[in-house]
Amino acid sequence: MKPTRIALILLWLLLIGGGVGGSDHEAAVPYYRASGFNVPILEGWANQSGADFAQFALVEAQATIRTARVSAADGLAAAQSELSELLGLDIGQPVYSNKVNLADGTWQVLVFDIDDATTASVMSRRADSEHVVITFVERNPAARIVLLTTTQADDTLEDAAPEIATAVEAIAGITMNELSPAENITLPSGEWIVYASDIVTAMGMVFGNDSYMALREGEPGDFAALADAYNRTLLGFFITPDNSRYLALGLAAVFLILGTLVFSFGWRARSLRQGMELIEQLAREED
Amino acid sequence: MTRIAELEPAPQPRMLRVLTALTALGFLATLYLGLFVAGTDIEQGEIQRIFYIHMPSFFGAFTAFGATVVGGLLYLARKNDAWDRIALAGVEVGLAFALINLLTGSIWARPIWNTWWTWDPRLTSAAVMCLIYAAYLMLRAGIDDLSRKRNFMSVYGIFAFVSVLTTLFIIRIVPETIHPVIVGASPQNAQGSFEATSGVVMALVPSLLLWLTLMPITLMWHRYRLETRKEASDRLMLQALSD
Repeated sequence: MKPTRIALILLWLLLIGGGVGGSDHEAAVPYYRASGFNVPILEGWANQSGADFAQFALVEAQATIRTARVSAADGLAAAQSELSELLGLDIGQPVYSNKVNLADGTWQVLVFDIDDATTASVMSRRADSEHVVITFVERNPAARIVLLTTTQADDTLEDAAPEIATAVEAIAGITMNELSPAENITLPSGEWIVYASDIVTAMGMVFGNDSYMALREGEPGDFAALADAYNRTLLGFFITPDNSRYLALGLAAVFLILGTLVFSFGWRARSLRQGMELIEQLAREED
Repeated sequence: MTRIAELEPAPQPRMLRVLTALTALGFLATLYLGLFVAGTDIEQGEIQRIFYIHMPSFFGAFTAFGATVVGGLLYLARKNDAWDRIALAGVEVGLAFALINLLTGSIWARPIWNTWWTWDPRLTSAAVMCLIYAAYLMLRAGIDDLSRKRNFMSVYGIFAFVSVLTTLFIIRIVPETIHPVIVGASPQNAQGSFEATSGVVMALVPSLLLWLTLMPITLMWHRYRLETRKEASDRLMLQALSD
């Protein structure tokens, strides 16, 4: 066997042993990256994203999900600014406002009834000196969709039924008794529980200690797909951390150690030369 | 009269000059690949780029410490001082590489694991490995008798390599590690893994080859030449003093 082949086999064994080389990881979710944040790309949705924002539209459902960083004084102003940019309208006060603590920070949850046909659900949180705003807008006059996130009242429960009950009563003015029995469905974003009546459909899922809910007044249509897409965006959203200072520190450590090694070679060679000069001097004196 | 000419530095062999130039250029080129060509990891951010030095530097240490084993074995078999000098050069260069591996890992861990250090099996074994080779240098400096020193350090250098193999394979032996693995079954608790995409492989493979071959060989050769001159200087100094 040729030495080159033996060397290659040894190298391969080393890499396998050390845990390096090719990858057997599952394919990652394809993300759209803009202005330092990342959101999952929604398959089947039209990608209308730009350099500074991610925007996906489902034309037949007249729905848009948009994520952007906005300079604004607070979460509400950021949401209003973002909706104004998206819809080209002046945005009034929200019909619902709440705060929820998620793993990546405190989000403001807002719902706006823009006009008879348009409803917007917004999540907004501070990110450095700006705000990240995730917006869901539907412009279907035949339906009204509201998407909410709230902390579970009882985090031992594995479904969002209590939060759905509260939301349905607050938004549609009906009680859980008026809804059909719960139905469980599995969507890419998780396990959902669905309640329905003639006038409202409510869905909810639990992730961590938080309930993610979706309510629709009117015909269900693509409701489940819309709620799932919004939740995938919320749960899949993350900001790439800015840790370039640590990279600079690491590179400085590398240069310091290699530089010290090479410098010590030179320094020791210089000391040897000085020793040689001393021996020469001794030899001359001896002569 | 001492033989002063013996101390005159021999001109660098052409091959060493070529290797030195290739190593320097290769180092800059792999830095460029890691810093500017490979994409930014969207989950870990810029700090992930330190991986292109962190992991290859361990394999560079592996080569250098491996040379110490070979040097030690051949010194014991043939009693040729040159093999002992190779063994010493391997330890000094390998220790520098192992320290780079340890420090860059610690700096990576701060933003990713939220700590500079944790007593994870792999981190602990890497730290112990560094201490074992640092002890090699201290012990070597503490033994006066040349023959005894060379024999003892050859045996020490051979056995010290167990710590290198332990560090390399410990993630396969002790599954409780949080140290990430890029191939094979990832430890259950691993934190900070990332996918070996084509961009990662493109930056990693040249860097790995550089640190595995050119860097340790070139630096060890320079260190070998330095030790050769030092031993001649010591010998002549003793001779001059005895005259």
